[in-house]
Amino acid sequence: MDSFLIGASQIFTVTTLAYMLAGSIAGIVAAAIPGFTVTMAIVLTLPLTFTMEPLQGIAVMLAVYVGGYTGGLISAALLGIPGTPSSVATTFDAFPMARGGEAGRALSMGVWASFFGTVISTIVLIVAAPPLAMIAVKLGPWEYFSLIVFALTIVASLVGESVIRGLIAGLIGLAMSTVGSDPILGRSRFDFGLETLETGLPFLVVLIGIYAISQLASEVEDAKSVKSGSKLVTGAIDFQTWKVMREVLTRPVNLIRSSIIGVLIGALPGAGGSIANLVAYDQAKRSSKNPDAFGTGTPDGIVASEAGNSATAGGGLIPMIGLGIPGSAVDAILMASLMVHGISVGPRLIMDHSDLVYGMFIAMAVASFIMLIVATLSMRLFLRVAEVPKWIIVPVVMICCVVGAFALNNRVSDLYLLGCIGVFGYALRALGYSLAPLVLGVILGPIAETNLRRALMTNEDPTLFFTRPISLLFLIAAVVSIVWAIRGHMKKRKTEERLFDAAAS
Amino acid sequence: MSQSDLDEELSLEVGEIARLLSYILFLLVSAGMFFAAGDIPTSRFEKLGAGAFPQFVFAGIFLICAIAIVLTVPKIPARAYGQLFNQAILWARKCYLVFVCLAALGVYLVAMPWLGFSLASLIFLFGLQMALLPRSLNTIFIAAIVAVVFSYGLNMLFADIFTVFLPKGVF
Repeated sequence: MDSFLIGASQIFTVTTLAYMLAGSIAGIVAAAIPGFTVTMAIVLTLPLTFTMEPLQGIAVMLAVYVGGYTGGLISAALLGIPGTPSSVATTFDAFPMARGGEAGRALSMGVWASFFGTVISTIVLIVAAPPLAMIAVKLGPWEYFSLIVFALTIVASLVGESVIRGLIAGLIGLAMSTVGSDPILGRSRFDFGLETLETGLPFLVVLIGIYAISQLASEVEDAKSVKSGSKLVTGAIDFQTWKVMREVLTRPVNLIRSSIIGVLIGALPGAGGSIANLVAYDQAKRSSKNPDAFGTGTPDGIVASEAGNSATAGGGLIPMIGLGIPGSAVDAILMASLMVHGISVGPRLIMDHSDLVYGMFIAMAVASFIMLIVATLSMRLFLRVAEVPKWIIVPVVMICCVVGAFALNNRVSDLYLLGCIGVFGYALRALGYSLAPLVLGVILGPIAETNLRRALMTNEDPTLFFTRPISLLFLIAAVVSIVWAIRGHMKKRKTEERLFDAAAS
Repeated sequence: MSQSDLDEELSLEVGEIARLLSYILFLLVSAGMFFAAGDIPTSRFEKLGAGAFPQFVFAGIFLICAIAIVLTVPKIPARAYGQLFNQAILWARKCYLVFVCLAALGVYLVAMPWLGFSLASLIFLFGLQMALLPRSLNTIFIAAIVAVVFSYGLNMLFADIFTVFLPKGVF
């Protein structure tokens, strides 16, 4: 209790709260710009925290972290471009809802879902950090590979109008992830002698090219509408703060399930928000009574994605606090900031610096409240973006994408990659390929390959994938997931045929 | 069936041909990449070599593209093939601004290392806005302001605050 009070007394000071407020604003703004990730925002914040007290510094970075997960939804909803990889699934429903004239509702829903997702993950973090960390660290490459196989079955939910084209897109994503040196022995593959490709295709450049450039290009397809000065989003813009809060709370099962998915995936080293939002969206769609509404602007899709990605913030801290293992790049930076202050992060952290750990829990909760206040007050400003005509927004966002792609590695060659991938993405979009499976393939490809090869290097017996209980569980879940998806598609086709016959007769 | 319905049906059929061509392209590329992956040297330290995983993936693409081709060909009536070129020209004319945007982006990216971020961005932003905007003195003035703010302004923001230096160029 003493430690809790000491932690609380350090967080609830005017200076710390003011720094956290600034951090939250910085996180929201950075993540709202396509191409700028939460990780980049945290990296830029790190040097500023060196002069602060350890807990103060961590609290500021957590505020950036929590704000960043919410900020990604702004461009996802208003532009149809995921601000960060963790908001890919948010584009599926928030963008159609905004295009349907309910931009304020889409943003408000995302903000509330993010808030509740963070709060739920903080509660889980406090209660279950040590046991969950022990389970997460016991998973071997067999379990990881089986988990990725399960995650790949999400493609079935994301295929869009054509299963075949969705599968091809997913496999193209996996193929793109094999470019560059292989993850185990570092042998070069498919680099065609180009130095740029030696280290592989940078994920962020692929994401910006595939989603942002192709989306921006498709915005100007209708020349008449662009030339007449049309805006991105039409209709009345109303934030509907309290009404939407009630709307989110009337979906408790979706909210809690998505948050728990986010926590669990966040707790697995190497996974994180970029997968959690897609898995949470997939599960919400599968368990919905009306799965066909997903992708057309349904509130359930936004709640699932935003609660799922925000909950990974708390989940990622579980292995870090429990075992000293960073679950993601952001957690590694948080760890680095503690180490700069001479605090060693490991299993003894909770015993040696319990006030710091309790302070981090409190900081997470406070950061989510600050994010809610900042987002609620600032969304009206962000909604002004929707009123900007396309002839301004398209070139300006293209510039932001270019800066984001360049700032990642400070390489001009990344810009050429961006251009090529953008054209490829637009071609796929124009031909009716769903782009979400491709992005999923690029994210999961390296994790799948690394764990498959590592498992077989450790033990050549492939039956271990089926005899290790947790691995078997994931594989069974994958089979169930595929059967469920096939059943869903057959049911949908039968319904469409029945409707067509009824219309014809 | 009205003329507009016929046009729409023809456009859908031509769309199917375009998709069929994409399946064929992916099939050929995946076949080539499958064999290229087979040439990657293996290691005696592991059962699967560096080329094994890509081979699984390219075999998967090949298989699914082959299925897609078999399913798509019967759907396309013979008359649609003759209309492919005309329909492609019609589509390209309708979406000419897409080509303008992508071409401008391409030129901008290629020119940036020489002109530097600020100057290249200024020209790109102003030029592309001029291509897209409804012409009036007011909109041209706004376009000029936006171009300056998001070229020189953005460069200053990154250099002075984030200490991230964007390409300076040779001029």
